[in-house]
Amino acid sequence: MSQETRTPDFVGGSGVRTAQEQAIKWTLFACAALSVFVTGAIIATLLFDALSFFTEVTPADFFLGTEWSPKIGQEFGVLPLVAGTLFVTVMSALVAIPVGVASAAYLSEYASESTRSVIKPALEILAGIPTVVYGYFALAYLTPALRSVGLPLSTFNALSASLMVGIMIIPMVSSLSEDAMSAVPDSLRQAGYGLGATKFEVSTGIVIPAAISGIFSSFILALSRAIGETMIVVVAAGMRPRLFPNPFESLEVMTAAMVQLITTDIAGGTVAYKSMFAIGLTLFTITFLMNLASRIIAERYREEYQ
Amino acid sequence: MATESGTRDQSWFGDTGQISRLPGRVFAATCLGATLFAILTVFGLLVYVANDAFRPATADPRWHLVFFLTLVLPSLALFGYYVARGDGESWVAATALGIPFFGLLLGSGVLLLFIDVLSVVAWLAFVLAVLAAAVVIKSHRRIRPAPGFLEHLLVIVGSLGAVAPAVYFGVVNLPVVPTPWLIYLLTFGAAGAALAGLVVARRRSSDRAGLTAAALVFAAAAGGGLAVSAVGIEPEIWVVLFTFAGVPTALYVESVLRERERPVGLLFPLVVVVGILLGAFLVDTLGFAGPDSWLDYGFLTSADSRFPEEAGIYPALIGSILMMVVVAAASFPIGVGAALYLEEYAPNDGALGAIVKLVQINIGNLAGVPSIVYGLLGLALFVHWGGLRPGIVIVGGLTIGLLILPIIIIAAQEAIRAVPDSMREASYGMGATQWQTIRRVVLPEALPGILTGSILGFGRAIGETAPLLMIGAAATVYTPPNGFFDLFSAMPRQIYAWVGKPAHEFQYGVMAAGVVTLLVVLLSMNAAAILIRNKYQRRT
Repeated sequence: MSQETRTPDFVGGSGVRTAQEQAIKWTLFACAALSVFVTGAIIATLLFDALSFFTEVTPADFFLGTEWSPKIGQEFGVLPLVAGTLFVTVMSALVAIPVGVASAAYLSEYASESTRSVIKPALEILAGIPTVVYGYFALAYLTPALRSVGLPLSTFNALSASLMVGIMIIPMVSSLSEDAMSAVPDSLRQAGYGLGATKFEVSTGIVIPAAISGIFSSFILALSRAIGETMIVVVAAGMRPRLFPNPFESLEVMTAAMVQLITTDIAGGTVAYKSMFAIGLTLFTITFLMNLASRIIAERYREEYQ
Repeated sequence: MATESGTRDQSWFGDTGQISRLPGRVFAATCLGATLFAILTVFGLLVYVANDAFRPATADPRWHLVFFLTLVLPSLALFGYYVARGDGESWVAATALGIPFFGLLLGSGVLLLFIDVLSVVAWLAFVLAVLAAAVVIKSHRRIRPAPGFLEHLLVIVGSLGAVAPAVYFGVVNLPVVPTPWLIYLLTFGAAGAALAGLVVARRRSSDRAGLTAAALVFAAAAGGGLAVSAVGIEPEIWVVLFTFAGVPTALYVESVLRERERPVGLLFPLVVVVGILLGAFLVDTLGFAGPDSWLDYGFLTSADSRFPEEAGIYPALIGSILMMVVVAAASFPIGVGAALYLEEYAPNDGALGAIVKLVQINIGNLAGVPSIVYGLLGLALFVHWGGLRPGIVIVGGLTIGLLILPIIIIAAQEAIRAVPDSMREASYGMGATQWQTIRRVVLPEALPGILTGSILGFGRAIGETAPLLMIGAAATVYTPPNGFFDLFSAMPRQIYAWVGKPAHEFQYGVMAAGVVTLLVVLLSMNAAAILIRNKYQRRT
């Protein structure tokens, strides 16, 4: 009796409790570790088939080749696809970056609480619309609308697909940049007002420069989203690989090439099948590096206040 | 000295006239314009697609007039009144309309699943098996409060591995089974009644009120079923829809009335429902033709076809529902578990701490991996290495489950982090173990946040197309999948299949209807998430 009371056991005493606690802890750890397994599996599966692809097509032919025709010509030059992706990304950035930053500045600096409570959910809804729907919008409404103002667009064209990708990533740029701007401490703004600055000068001269690392990291994240975007381009931009994209004609991006390969019933184990994984690996590497860069920029170059 | 102060009087502050307000105004207007541009473009497109799907112009103008007078005008007036009062009635109104709407949607999904895919008897057997296992475990705990770890484990494994399967196969092979609607009553109706009873008992801190509520709910489920079967409607439809829509609505109404929390807001759903019924009745008796919509009952209940008038989305709809069952079952428990580990257990230092940090960075990066790469992963992992058939429900569900796993983990982590430490410490102070604290304090507190984030994640999952293309989901199936190992098509996949049909009726008719169907499901999920968030933000 006295022996027992000398060492009070706060956990409850019975062995089953501690064993159960441990079992639960390690089960939950396994859940968390599964995410590492997913990354490992992505890299392993991509590498496995991509390496086997590179034994049949040399990396030089793949990365420097200017002709992509996997089924007929057995040509596996990825450059036309990269050119297409680059075109779409740059065009969408031209739309999304100015609009996204301006909207972030409005939401963070100018909007009243009630305006924000309407606009923020609206932007969230935009972010939640599936990309196949955006693709349909581009194909069915944007292209005819642009044609009606006189642009010589073909049915599937790069321009309306890129514009739609841009519109799709606006909410991402806007909400991430707004987070960065809202994180700028009020004392900085008040110091600016104290020096006699107007609201405009405070916004453009103090808040945006102070939040610039967060804003840049949002650009990179949004562009990486645009690079990996599949359905808008597949639906609206067509599948015609071109080394020098023409905005009025169709083009093919990396993701669209993968969709084209898988939907034309290629057999597993052929070079064409493995080329999908080579493109996938390229895509994964690019987006992974961009996400990493965005994280590093956001963390390393963040101005530390307080 | 005097001269100095004299000049200072002139110059130490500026005159408002000296500051140009123009750049500031232009800047503010540009920023507002940019914000509105993004929102209005997409909302404009949504209006276009809705117009193509419903074709309101084909209706009799008097039809519009009737519904304008019975539905639009009263509800707009009432809502305007709520907003003008500005006292939160509009949120009560939106919630009171949203709960039954979302409940109906969910209930219809469950019904479709049972009508087409799952067998009722197997469902009953499954429920009874789980119940039996739970009873065995509980009563063992009651008889021997402090068993050894091995004994405890043995009982759990035994009841799940032996008792549950025995009950399951026993029930499945029973020569006589109750009629389907009795099964629904005993499973859904009873579950709804038990839930309502628990909630009411806790709210009113009275077991008697809880029992009364449970009895009332069960009686309503049974009585309503009998009543609708007298009219010729299948009673199981009533039981399921009542459980999913009626019970939550009743609970919400009860809480609003009891707390007197702006009960005027409850009028809104009444006005809407009465408006719809009255309008429909008037239009029917007066013979005003409604619009000739592409999105109608036939579209929702028939399979794809070469002829645009006959094309429908039904098999893809069932495919999406079935896939979402797999997605939710695969990603929600694992995602929440991972978030719990990272927030509650993970050490900050040492070797394990370094691993945890890596895991955290890794999750952030996974959320940014393009969806098509997940498709490749699913293709290689489940089809090539796992040996599953390409294009079946479980492959699609698991692939998309992996895709939204990081989203759910991040959302759940944020919700768990927001639970104040003082609550945990209070629980520890009363002698609770870490798991007891998590289960009884942290999880209930974080649940609304976890649900909000997860619903948004599921919304993302239901619209994903690229991974489905990669794992070989069929472009079009003419019969809905019969189980989790059947070939399937999903709504977005079906929409993409229609892209290949350039005929005007498909482009601006069938596809528009498909897009609107997908968007209605998705936007109501988003709305539900926003409502949950707002309700619980208010409380804190």
